[in-house]
Amino acid sequence: MKGHNTFNWFKLILTRDLTIAFRRSSSYLTPLIFFLIVITFFPLALGPQESLISSLAPGVIWISALLSSLLAVEGIFSEDDRDGTLDQYFLSNEPPFLLVFSKVLCHWLICGAPILLASILGSFMLFLPNGVLVPLLMSLFLGTFFMSLLGALGAALSLGKSAILSTIIVLPFSIPTLLMGTSIMTLAINEQDYSGYLQIMGAMLAVGVPGLCILTVEAILLRYE
Amino acid sequence: MNKFWFLIKNWFIAMGSTPSFYKWATTFLPWLGILAFLTFSLGLVWGIGFAPSDYKQGDVYRILFIHVPSAILGQSIYLMMAVFGFISLVWRAKIAGMLLISAAPLGAGFTLVALVTGSIWGKPTWGTWWVWDARLTSTLILFFLYAAIIALHSSLDNKTKADRAVSILSVLGIAIVPIIKKSVDWWQTLHQPSTFSLTSSPSMTADMYQPLLMCVVGFYLVFIFMLTNSLRAEIISREKGRNWAQKQFFRREK
Repeated sequence: MKGHNTFNWFKLILTRDLTIAFRRSSSYLTPLIFFLIVITFFPLALGPQESLISSLAPGVIWISALLSSLLAVEGIFSEDDRDGTLDQYFLSNEPPFLLVFSKVLCHWLICGAPILLASILGSFMLFLPNGVLVPLLMSLFLGTFFMSLLGALGAALSLGKSAILSTIIVLPFSIPTLLMGTSIMTLAINEQDYSGYLQIMGAMLAVGVPGLCILTVEAILLRYE
Repeated sequence: MNKFWFLIKNWFIAMGSTPSFYKWATTFLPWLGILAFLTFSLGLVWGIGFAPSDYKQGDVYRILFIHVPSAILGQSIYLMMAVFGFISLVWRAKIAGMLLISAAPLGAGFTLVALVTGSIWGKPTWGTWWVWDARLTSTLILFFLYAAIIALHSSLDNKTKADRAVSILSVLGIAIVPIIKKSVDWWQTLHQPSTFSLTSSPSMTADMYQPLLMCVVGFYLVFIFMLTNSLRAEIISREKGRNWAQKQFFRREK
């Protein structure tokens, strides 16, 4: 292989996973459609009054985003595990930390990023004021990325088990993200300063990238003992 | 002094091996049980039977003698599990993982008792079974965390690997529990001012405080007794095929 180094390896894995994902359109369409369906269900269940829906909108968007980003989580490692690719990654001399990070990044790109786009549509469907769009996108970016990290850990711990197990493991840990995300939205709607919560979410992500990736590597290594 | 430390260290290392822990536990468990039962029942009888009744709440407050110790235990057991999880991840001590998973159902149980008694206490004093108060909510979340740990452990067949998996989860938990607690506090203050606060109760008289302290100590002893007991059962159920266990039960001399 020409110019072999760790960064090329990282790029190779990421391109491979993205190619597989884009050849199979269900992988990126399912979370997106799930998100939009859940958002549609709330007005159907609660009635079409604009004032009621717009007051519930931050919570509705955040709950839908968390659930749909957990939807595809068990696919992060399971396919590579089944055909033995995961074993080859760990046999190669490359840092497993980077492997986990590229998997997380890929999961965010095919699951979190479409949700981010769909949330723009969702904010119109749920009558959110226009000025809230920027804090919504910023907080959703930080939140869904953190959820992808948590989801990778849950998927690694429950590798080969039911998908609902990884959801049960991960959901309690996503509570801070949910609370801060909705707080940011509420503060932004009331035109107050929301930067504090945004900074805390960013800090959680900054600690979470190394911390959760290391824990995920530990969890995968359990298989090879 | 050096000799003393040497003995302590030796004892600690010996407790890390399952057969010697099993033998130690078999000897001391009855005594521990008697001590725990005495302290526990003394504290409860003192608190429920003899402590003065509250000037405002009357006799309803007496559920405090069960509620507060279980709430304290529910939280401290989680901390203990994280410490054992760290030990089992770093030093690969087998018994630490067993301790962790033996403690998890107990912690979930104490948390559930705290939730239920709090709810029973809330009905006559606050007029409702449940409020979305910060403390109540974070206790409920703590219960979910215990449930996640138990669910993960029971889903994995290889118990040694399951111990390690659960250790990873509990180490993550201890990093994120302070954030959960803080964010629940913010959430609650954002939506409504704190109506009910358990912390700012009027300072207790010694007549109430002493039985409460007794109850806390009693609950801790009962927990240690139950933990030792279930750890013993865990050890035997995993190592029943091994030589020392066979000798212990069947006296099958080689």
